[in-house]
Amino acid sequence: MRDQIVESVSATFLQVVEQLTYMFGEPADKGDILDVDGDYILAQMGFTGDVNGTLSIAVPSDCVAEIAANILGLEPEEMEASSMAPDSLGEMLNVICGHVIMAIAGKGADFGLGSPVIGPATPAFLAQAVEDSDWLGFLLEENLVLLGLVTE
Amino acid sequence: MAFNILLVDDSVTVRSVISKALHLAGVDINLLYQAANGLEALEILEAEWIDIVLCDISMPVMDGETLVRKMGENGMINSIPVVIVSSAGSEPRIQRLRDMGVRDYIQKPFTPERIREVVDSVMGVTKHA
Repeated sequence: MRDQIVESVSATFLQVVEQLTYMFGEPADKGDILDVDGDYILAQMGFTGDVNGTLSIAVPSDCVAEIAANILGLEPEEMEASSMAPDSLGEMLNVICGHVIMAIAGKGADFGLGSPVIGPATPAFLAQAVEDSDWLGFLLEENLVLLGLVTE
Repeated sequence: MAFNILLVDDSVTVRSVISKALHLAGVDINLLYQAANGLEALEILEAEWIDIVLCDISMPVMDGETLVRKMGENGMINSIPVVIVSSAGSEPRIQRLRDMGVRDYIQKPFTPERIREVVDSVMGVTKHA
């Protein structure tokens, strides 16, 4: 059962990220690649309803501006992409969250999404995420991204 | 005919993306208004002429569902068509919103073509060969 959920979450994540940011990814072994001292941004979002929990994503800070630029159709160097990067990461998490919940609970599930909370990811948090089986690793065009799904 | 369109979403990214999508899709826009939540949207709706509202569901201060309900209670603005643009579009919620008068639903992520299709349909724009 858990393998099926992981497979479904992985496929949904990669599909939504590709549609939203035009960035291609693949599942990755998070332990082999992650530099826990690296500069990562963490976005988290709660959801309530038929299914309750939190979806989190940790992204290298350099990659956040690239994600924002791709969503907005700008160059990463452009000021707007940089200033809007946290908001864009939150929006990406919002879209991923909606699709992931429907993937694991079905389209008939009734749920609501909270507001995304964005901030730096501490090395201790990242180290814990690497050890935690609720967190999955993805290689998103050479950037290791972590996705954590915790349901109650 | 050019439309006055109101975008309601707490994400400035989404408002920017929808704005670009509307332009890319060739939707005829007169004025494009933006609001970060339902309360701001109500203030604009009561002050300006709006032809169509594109609205998110989950927002702080006042969410999309509450906005739709309050619009329905106000005879001055209850006939303005609302389209939901969201990623939290479970079937029960979409049905609940349709029952409240929402005209259509656009799932994120979306294409400019999908935005155009829905705006044309809701506003009764006919295609010319």
